[in-house]
Amino acid sequence: MSDKDSILTVEVMDSDGSTYTLHEVCERGECHAEFVIKLVNYGIITPVEPSTEARQWQFDVAALARLHKARRLQRDLKMNLPGLAMSLELLDEVQEMRREVARLNHRLQQLID
Amino acid sequence: MDFKDYYAVLGVSESASPEEIKKSYRKLARKYHPDVSKEDDAGEKFKELGEAYEVLKDPEKRAEYDQLRKYGPQADGSFQPPPGWQSESGFGGGGYTDADSRQFSDFFEQMFGGGQAGRHSAGGYRRSVRMRGEDVLSRLPLFLEEVFNGCEKQVSFTVHEADDKGRIIARKKTLKVKIPAGMREGQHLRLKGQGSPGIGGGEPGDLLIEVELAPHPLFSVEGRDIVLTVPVTPWEAALGATIMVPTVGSRVNVKVPKGTSSGRKLRLKGKGLPGKHPGDQIVVLQIAIPEQHSAEAEKLYEQLAEAEKNFDPRSKLHL
Repeated sequence: MSDKDSILTVEVMDSDGSTYTLHEVCERGECHAEFVIKLVNYGIITPVEPSTEARQWQFDVAALARLHKARRLQRDLKMNLPGLAMSLELLDEVQEMRREVARLNHRLQQLID
Repeated sequence: MDFKDYYAVLGVSESASPEEIKKSYRKLARKYHPDVSKEDDAGEKFKELGEAYEVLKDPEKRAEYDQLRKYGPQADGSFQPPPGWQSESGFGGGGYTDADSRQFSDFFEQMFGGGQAGRHSAGGYRRSVRMRGEDVLSRLPLFLEEVFNGCEKQVSFTVHEADDKGRIIARKKTLKVKIPAGMREGQHLRLKGQGSPGIGGGEPGDLLIEVELAPHPLFSVEGRDIVLTVPVTPWEAALGATIMVPTVGSRVNVKVPKGTSSGRKLRLKGKGLPGKHPGDQIVVLQIAIPEQHSAEAEKLYEQLAEAEKNFDPRSKLHL
């Protein structure tokens, strides 16, 4: 490949604003709509406007990233939906706690110095 | 090519039963899954595990591998297969299970992938199927200053694409990305069409970048707010003062109110992470005293103790 190491400058298309339809997240997550609907029902991912009908759902980038994560965990660790829902929640909590611990350690270090 | 000791990877002995192998794989897979582990090399380890299990769970492949293992690596750790080596177990017709085999090592490719070049072939799809390229997720650690001001970063990631023969290969891609100011930890950026190329004229996937924040020696970040602990002298706290306080990339004068206790928080409006709703800088005041006082100062403290003897800071401790 000639462009192997070439460096392009790309503008970030969207940071917060962009959303995907149910069809688009299915295509990107390589899964059926049924799976996404189940994830929504289990509260694993949430559409931007959860009250609307499934075919009007819009998902943000974070929801898509979470769908990818759910797919990987399901594939690699053979998890069912309740297991997935619980693991993802616990993983969120663990991540939040790791950040909190880092913040507190940091604050503590400042107090000691 | 390096020899891969699949038994060591799975932490089992050569004589391990299929059940032991499965058990160990499941345990380690949970431990090293890149979405679960915080270790930097978890992705690498998880790939190795998948590869080791792919071979050892299958009695035929395991028998072949055991033969190779006896043949062993050379003194320098490199490995050459025995002359005329050809895997019998093959990975042709549906040989791979659901592991992500695209990422297996050269050793695996050479030992078990021989003559099966078409096994990941996308060639068959090429004429008939259009497939969208996969989205690629990448984590990007940034310094607070970079997040605050926005920056240009080089991002390297791996995409999968079909080569001339229709085989799926991994390719490293590097892009320069302009990061807007005010991104928060855990937020995602989307670069349209910069993921893996599509197959059969399908659309390319996107690159999704998740922002991570590296710890800063002075400031910490909570949501959109930036927090800074600032020491003040006891007399500044008692009498009130105007002190200089750093912000990210600048500094401001802050008025410490008269009679400030340690831990009091001051909010500097709009001095947090920029954005549509910019955050604040929170200054946490902390009273500091000199390590040593002069005799004169001690005398003054004694006078102070006398003058303020009705003040009991421990009144709430029910002593």
